[in-house]
Amino acid sequence: MQYLMLIYHEERQWAELPEAEKQKVYEGFRVLREDLEPREKFKGGNALQPTPTAATVRVRNGKRSVTDGPFAETKEQLGGYILVEAKDHEEALAIAARIPIAKSGSIEVRPVMPPQQA
Amino acid sequence: MQYLLLIYLEESRWERLDDPEQQKIYQEYRDLIGDLQKAGKFLGGNELQPTSTATTVRVRAGKKSITDGPFAETKEQLGGYFLVEAKDLDEAMEIAARIPSATTGSIEVRPVVPRQAQ
Repeated sequence: MQYLMLIYHEERQWAELPEAEKQKVYEGFRVLREDLEPREKFKGGNALQPTPTAATVRVRNGKRSVTDGPFAETKEQLGGYILVEAKDHEEALAIAARIPIAKSGSIEVRPVMPPQQA
Repeated sequence: MQYLLLIYLEESRWERLDDPEQQKIYQEYRDLIGDLQKAGKFLGGNELQPTSTATTVRVRAGKKSITDGPFAETKEQLGGYFLVEAKDLDEAMEIAARIPSATTGSIEVRPVVPRQAQ
């Protein structure tokens, strides 16, 4: 079963972190990834550029409208995601708790729809 | 350049659609994915199970805390995502506007951090 982990953190807090602290977080991500990968539990993931680079697109009556910024203004912002393979919900939550940002932000865990139903 | 396209839609509206209507939308998704794949622009994507299956995980002072539900309550809910390759934001927004759910929901377009920058 695959789970999408949505990584929310306070962008401003992150931007203010000294470079050495950021490197520590990146290192934490590398360690987690290197642990998950050989067991084929890491299926992908990306860091996102900050929400000022976001745009939201809608199409109504065939006309496209674009607004600057993310879909929703939230206290913490979506900063990245990882896609993992886990045997069940419990294992997915255990992996989520190991994401470095879980200590300062929030990790939303969402089971993915099996492809055959899509 | 890679872009994450976050697909927000009203879950309750989707659930009210009858099966032929849902199948028609799935077919539109398959057509778009096929087109993007042929052009080498589709890098991945998933449909998510409804937010009623979501869990949010935080770790504070070494203790894991778990809350049911998504990170944020929003009018539309995150229902899936595409990861696409596009030459710039304009092309990414063009692709976003072709996502079937853009006609009823909202597509948030987020540029991904290039791997070497991390």
